[in-house]
Amino acid sequence: MIWKILEALIFPGAVFILTVSLFYEWIDRKLYARLQNRVGPHLAGPFGLFQPAADFIKLLSKEDIIPAAADRFLFTLTPILAPTLILLGCMFLPVAGLNGIVSFNGDLIVIIALMSFCTITIYLAGEGSNNRFASIGATRAALQLIGYEIPLTLALLCAAISTGSLSLRGIVEAQMANGTWLIAGPQLIGFAIFVVASQAEMERIPFDIPEAEQEIVAGWSVEYTGRRLGLFRLTKDLELFLLSGLGATLFLGGPLGPLIPGLEPLLHTIYFLAKSILVLIVFTLVRTVFARLRIDQMISFSWKYLMPLAIFLVIITEVIA
Amino acid sequence: MGLVARLVRKCRARSPWILLFDTGACNACDIEVAACLTPRYDVERFGTLLRGSPRHADILVVTGPVTRQSRDRIIRIYEQMPEPKYVVAAGTCATSGGVYWGCYNTYPGLDSVIPVHAYVSGCPVKPEAVLMALSILLEKIEKVEV
Repeated sequence: MIWKILEALIFPGAVFILTVSLFYEWIDRKLYARLQNRVGPHLAGPFGLFQPAADFIKLLSKEDIIPAAADRFLFTLTPILAPTLILLGCMFLPVAGLNGIVSFNGDLIVIIALMSFCTITIYLAGEGSNNRFASIGATRAALQLIGYEIPLTLALLCAAISTGSLSLRGIVEAQMANGTWLIAGPQLIGFAIFVVASQAEMERIPFDIPEAEQEIVAGWSVEYTGRRLGLFRLTKDLELFLLSGLGATLFLGGPLGPLIPGLEPLLHTIYFLAKSILVLIVFTLVRTVFARLRIDQMISFSWKYLMPLAIFLVIITEVIA
Repeated sequence: MGLVARLVRKCRARSPWILLFDTGACNACDIEVAACLTPRYDVERFGTLLRGSPRHADILVVTGPVTRQSRDRIIRIYEQMPEPKYVVAAGTCATSGGVYWGCYNTYPGLDSVIPVHAYVSGCPVKPEAVLMALSILLEKIEKVEV
């Protein structure tokens, strides 16, 4: 019992996940800067490693403003709800073994649901702040959800169909039994759809339409200050960890790799982190290469190209499996 | 100073998010301040991010002479920023009014409207000068109460 609680709180639970997701934000920012021929953050700690932590602590220490026009209930609730949902999703990832902290048959569906709930929370956060820019941003976030959610779900389900299991553990075990990762095969298309749809889920370039700075200031987060903004930024970091971890688990074999007896949890963790950092690098490359699309371009792209591709993939997977 | 207070102060000095505000400048200072974000000067080394919303920003960088039209707006933007907040007046026009000094429609400098923590001279400012002002301001944030 006590071990289970420690597992959920420290390793591979909350403390570990938060630390790693801040580290992932650093990788993302540093790589983004290096690809643009800049130095990137480098004064906060060695190589700027503590930059995300410094941002977070600074935001915690800032003044907390609730605008008079805002809905007090939503303004208080949503910054707490959003990181909680994503942190809960991270608990399902098989980091230090084949099982996550929580693991049951069908946890893939739960992760998809939690990510959608997070987007809806963001919609409420934008509408709750009762600001015209926030309102536009929130509407765009909800509209974008209609575009990317179905292809994302289909891409994840294709991995489930081809392995015959709806749990992350089952998918990893099937890859272990097969000897190859899912990405080697038709699921390569699934991985591509997953990367594109994840960029939309995380609201990153080219799909950072809900917070498009040049058009609508800061989108749905425009009225949030201090610790509320800090929690929303933390949500973004956690999403980075969740989605790169999910990509690594489903398509790259997650914690699988050559093992030495006695060191299994450590090696599993190292393999998992290495693979998810690989996925993270793909995310960052996509963010660097593209420019922002308009909302109508995004929706028509996902319904005209992403959606048929996902359905095509389902058919292929069904025929092969 | 306690350990937590020192940590918070260090973090504030390592993560200054800036907001650009043009009170009616000729755009020269804006281009030069924006040049700080380019690969050559890369202000993100200090942890600086350019934010669109005053609610997210720590440092307000103002360019141009404060006109009667923009006075109320700049006060509103300043008040929308959360404490602790700092202001940098970039360019001769923002520090003293520049060539518009004594004009019927401008104020003599930004500090006659809102408190200013750092001045950068130059017409237009040099990106190096903006970085210098920023680093001095950050040192002040870390070492002494501004």
